[in-house]
Amino acid sequence: MSGASGGEKRPPPNWILQHPAQMKDLQIEDSAQVHAAFLVYMDLTEVRRWKEVSCVKSSELQVVLLEAREKEGAPTLTILPLPAHQSVTHKSIRHVLDRGFPVLLCAVAADSTLVYQRMTDGLVTPDPPVGPFQDMGRRQHRKRRQQR
Amino acid sequence: MEALSCGERRLGSEEEYAAPAVGVSLCDSAPLVWRMQDLRAVRAEGLVGALLGSLPRTPRQNGRLGRPLLLLPEEEGLLRERRAAAALPDRCQDWGGAELRQKHEEEEKRSFEEQSVLALEDRKLALLRAMTGAESGATSADEALRRRLQALDQNFTFPQSAMAVQLSTARAGLSYCPEARAFLQAYGPPGAEPRCDARYQVFRDLRGRGFYLTSAGKFGGDFLVYPGDPLRFHAHFIAVCVSLDESVCLLDVLAVARLGSNVKKTVLLCSPGPDARVCYTSLQWSGMI
Repeated sequence: MSGASGGEKRPPPNWILQHPAQMKDLQIEDSAQVHAAFLVYMDLTEVRRWKEVSCVKSSELQVVLLEAREKEGAPTLTILPLPAHQSVTHKSIRHVLDRGFPVLLCAVAADSTLVYQRMTDGLVTPDPPVGPFQDMGRRQHRKRRQQR
Repeated sequence: MEALSCGERRLGSEEEYAAPAVGVSLCDSAPLVWRMQDLRAVRAEGLVGALLGSLPRTPRQNGRLGRPLLLLPEEEGLLRERRAAAALPDRCQDWGGAELRQKHEEEEKRSFEEQSVLALEDRKLALLRAMTGAESGATSADEALRRRLQALDQNFTFPQSAMAVQLSTARAGLSYCPEARAFLQAYGPPGAEPRCDARYQVFRDLRGRGFYLTSAGKFGGDFLVYPGDPLRFHAHFIAVCVSLDESVCLLDVLAVARLGSNVKKTVLLCSPGPDARVCYTSLQWSGMI
């Protein structure tokens, strides 16, 4: 703690390790995943200002999961942060879905870019295309005739 | 002509299952359906397939294709499972190539002779019309025409190149022997090839729920899932079949999900589960930039 020899500057402590999120206490071996989880935590709390962000350990998958709400009164979501170069099995995704909350998969790239993907159980019909719709009718035939 | 003939009723113990079998021709390993009644039956079962052939009247386009219909391996498997498909030989043993050619040449010769006669009559009529039209004109022109008319019978030749060739489109051109049929046996035990098996289980489950499926080569997935007949609806889902334990690179998941959101379709991760049920996970864009 006290400086040994004068003039030698000690490097500042790693603020990530001292962050109150306390992910280190969860004892997950995959440090890359823990780091990814930390980055997502920072994004949700500081940038997007989501509410009630907390960390949870998943023992089957040995990963850190986050739980958060987008705003007050919104439903709780489970967020699965993963480094982008890793692989994932459908089984692990089902494990996370089995927790009962909607799942957001977050892929963390090497440059800390975050991509969120919503995952839901079952078949979710996509949103239909928005109108107004115009009947094309004979336009295509007319176009081809003019080209000749 | 398109009515189902009695000769195609299935023999055997399953008399109560009245649907006749679909004739499938195997070209190497590709299952093809040629006959109109078979195509209708296949579509009635909710299987779409892909048309491969060119239409005789509109050959140089890819928008509307004709027979044969190529079935997906999963579609063929489903027909086998329902014992609704029977193998047809590629070509009939009785009709050799030489006989077909001779028949065609005879028909062509007959057509040529008929057309020559008709062409001569046409020419005469044209000259007569020219003559009567020039009633008030100079008589020398009229005389020339009259001489030409008389010479026509001797000198008229109908060139082969001017002949109109008829393409018979009603006849499929395929011969089949209704007697020589063996029902396509069901596939071997499951688990032989995990990826194929996963695809087949997913196909069967989704078809059982009433969806129509086609191949999704354009979208990088396994199947395109339609809520009804593809002629009436756009696809809602891109189905990607994986087994539960298969490790998928996260970047691939992102890529296919991104593609799905660009084309307004939900990406489905489908895996057959242990209890013969299939679990589905829908991937959607989160909306978080």
